[in-house]
Amino acid sequence: MRKIILATTLALIATPAFATGKVKCDVAEADMKPRAELEAQLVGDGWKVKKSKVDGGCYEVYGTLPTGENVEAYFDPATFEKLYVAQRGKVLFKKGE
Amino acid sequence: MLSEYLNRPLFFWFVLTLPGVAMLYSYATGVSDAMDMLHPTGETSARLLIIALMITPLLQLTRGAKWMRWLQDRRRYIGVAAFLYGLAHLVFYVIDMGTLQAIASEIPLPGIWTGWIALLLMVPLAMTSTDAAMRALKRGWKRLQRLAYPAVVLTLAHWIIIHNGLTAALVHVLPLALLELYRLIRFLRKAPQHA
Repeated sequence: MRKIILATTLALIATPAFATGKVKCDVAEADMKPRAELEAQLVGDGWKVKKSKVDGGCYEVYGTLPTGENVEAYFDPATFEKLYVAQRGKVLFKKGE
Repeated sequence: MLSEYLNRPLFFWFVLTLPGVAMLYSYATGVSDAMDMLHPTGETSARLLIIALMITPLLQLTRGAKWMRWLQDRRRYIGVAAFLYGLAHLVFYVIDMGTLQAIASEIPLPGIWTGWIALLLMVPLAMTSTDAAMRALKRGWKRLQRLAYPAVVLTLAHWIIIHNGLTAALVHVLPLALLELYRLIRFLRKAPQHA
């Protein structure tokens, strides 16, 4: 019993962290529009963009909404459709909800 | 000879600061900005807090193995390091947010106030980590140090809510949870004998 618990504990400690994708996008690379274009569009809409990257196939943008909230937001890389917006884990927008 | 050096608190502190040195180097050279620093500082703080809390149940499980007692002697350094990484986490959050107004506006968010309270709970723990404080507080010291448990629970909540996902946080906390469960079962089994 003790050995099982000890072994399980050690195995769990060794488990590497997983990548967490809140949203998944499945877009062919050829169909992806440049990320800079999305950033420019958002800035035009009044956002402040801190940085962006690709996460789960989507474009993920860190920035500030025109209303002042610091958010992470996911967009479709082909259409720039907004998929998910969250402020410190509080979901402000999710497509289809 | 060598083991004498390795057993010194200074060496243990050196090991505890290594991840921080790597993080600060990355920040100083511009590879990481303040926002990038949030994850490594927070995760290191949480890991150290979890490790500190795992020591007692692991001591029971290993029946006081020598290497566990070695670690137990250094538990307070692990705890203080957890607090200092937590403090660094806050400093980079403040830098990233930029204004007090922006910081204040996020306090009502569950993902944020859980982090604030977890860190605040660690302040008295870090401040009473000296031998003098331990002597002065006598039995109260141990009671006070139990604040580490609500601190780790709030840290877990902070982690889960901020990421809006369970995986990363649970992977880290599960070993501790399992050990606490073992401790509880052990306690419940023993209890009737003492009655």
